[in-house]
Amino acid sequence: MVEFDAIGVQSPNIAAAILKSGVLVNVDRAQIDGDEGWALLDVANADTEKFIAALTGKGVSIRIQKDAVTHNRTKCVDCGLCISICQKKVFSFDENWQLVVNSERCVLCGRCAMYCPHRALSIEK
Amino acid sequence: MYKSIDEINERIRDGSVRVVSAEKMPDIIDELGVEGALREVDVVTTGTFGAMCSSGAFLNFGHPEIPIRMEKMWINNVEAYAGLAAVDCYLGATQESTIRHAEYGGAHVIEDLIAGKSVELHARAKGTDCYPRTALTNEFTLEELNQAIMVNPRNSYQCYSAATNMGDRAVKTYMGCLLAGHRNITYSGAGCLSPLANDPTFSVIGSGTPIFLGGANGVVVGEGTQSSPGNGFGTLMTSANMKDMSTDYIRAATMTGYGVTMYVGVGVPIPVLNEEIVKHTAVRDEDLKTNIVDYGTPSRDRPVIKQVTYAELKSGSIDLNGEEIRCSSLSSYKKAREVAGELKSRIENGSFTMGLATRPIDALKINKPMAEKGNVRRVNEMMVSAFVTITGDESVKQAAKRLLKGETNHLPVIDAENRLIGIVTTYDVSKAFAKDEQDMTVSEIMTKNVISISPDAPVDFAARKLQQHNIGALVVIDSGRHILGLLNSYDLGDLVSGRGSN
Repeated sequence: MVEFDAIGVQSPNIAAAILKSGVLVNVDRAQIDGDEGWALLDVANADTEKFIAALTGKGVSIRIQKDAVTHNRTKCVDCGLCISICQKKVFSFDENWQLVVNSERCVLCGRCAMYCPHRALSIEK
Repeated sequence: MYKSIDEINERIRDGSVRVVSAEKMPDIIDELGVEGALREVDVVTTGTFGAMCSSGAFLNFGHPEIPIRMEKMWINNVEAYAGLAAVDCYLGATQESTIRHAEYGGAHVIEDLIAGKSVELHARAKGTDCYPRTALTNEFTLEELNQAIMVNPRNSYQCYSAATNMGDRAVKTYMGCLLAGHRNITYSGAGCLSPLANDPTFSVIGSGTPIFLGGANGVVVGEGTQSSPGNGFGTLMTSANMKDMSTDYIRAATMTGYGVTMYVGVGVPIPVLNEEIVKHTAVRDEDLKTNIVDYGTPSRDRPVIKQVTYAELKSGSIDLNGEEIRCSSLSSYKKAREVAGELKSRIENGSFTMGLATRPIDALKINKPMAEKGNVRRVNEMMVSAFVTITGDESVKQAAKRLLKGETNHLPVIDAENRLIGIVTTYDVSKAFAKDEQDMTVSEIMTKNVISISPDAPVDFAARKLQQHNIGALVVIDSGRHILGLLNSYDLGDLVSGRGSN
């Protein structure tokens, strides 16, 4: 997750970092306007350090996105409806049909939280 | 060989009863054979835990000092049916709160009561000589009620169609959110663990069969509503005392964009009395077939996309036209196992005894669709057949003239073969004039993705389409994209405006 303040949004920081590091990234989601913005970038693990080093510019802050999905075990009944709604394969069953959440793949679309019948999922950016 | 229900109950009493979950039964039969399994196993426990909308409870509040015959009532702002006189009601699971709408409903009231929470009752009445009171507001808990009897008209479907969406926009259904372009498949039911899958001929399950319902020891009332075992869709009407229930097995839920529902745990123990019963419990997920149907088609007879087995559904992905589509349940298999497991331990520890049905359920019955008296109004009855069109290479100025001449706001754009390729509205044309673009061609300013409808579609679908896209008219076209007419929202009147904002 890259966040830009009023200064950060003025320069082509992501493009510059890609050119400088030679690392290819996938922009999963982004929301940027005149004053501020954020972009969620998918970077291969091996390249992360190199890319972050290249992206460090004025008005830019970087966070590794890990625990975006909060899973309330008490409310969850392990129905698994979230599994097929999420196209990023964040959710799966273990061998006992219990829900497993792999937040690392989350692109913060929020669909799982919106459609969970038991309101057991929430997303934090 | 034959075994009687009394022999089984005797074994429950002396602690020697042999109970297995329906999941394990096929392997036992493979190993011991049908006769061996009959000798070895006394009871097979089944279980399911899923959304069962057709559920609810009868509540009796007791008479207050100044008596009231409640005619309208709300519990935590959820209306309950009060036409039962005088301090009784039936609270339906899907009824929504007048304040919180789909985020809180009858199912949530039921779950709150089972959890021991206090809820607020508000009732109104006209007042009579024998029941003088006209209003009442009171708080109560489950413990304070005389009766709280859950009676679910339609539980535990034998089998249920799986769902996908072939349409080009996501649909929000009781089967969950179905993404556009068949990006996901959802299904319901526990497959080989489902109660009726293990007794499809209703040879032991009938009125009076003892069951596990929501954590309580309950009973099958009889045939469920819409029960259609003749084509594999049998249902059960079930009942049990809410005071014995647990929120482990009753959970309120909201299907976003659809509404409130209740997740119910139902378990039926099947006494292994004869070889026929053993054979039925040999069922595996591979044997249970269901159809994936297209919920993108908003009519009763939804097109079947593919036939699959529960084994395929449970695998997590299904091949649809060469694409691997993610597939997941909305019922919980883990919870279904818990139901079957809990039922097994109750029988083993002697707190649940078996019984025979007192009346059979018709295993051949087939559910009938509604025969609508009067006609369903179709688009071709309401559309305007006189319309003007334009071609893509004509100018915006020409379009303006055509709109004025036709006294319309919508101008379909056609190609040389008279096929619909776009649309321009008075808004598009005004905008072009305002930007001094009147010499541009129609094809440069037209909307290419025209919202259209077929002439035989019911007007209710048309009304929903107009509202979803927030547009003033639909172009009516045949299968060859030739224009037949226009359907204007103002011609539909109340059908559009009366639907509200959600």
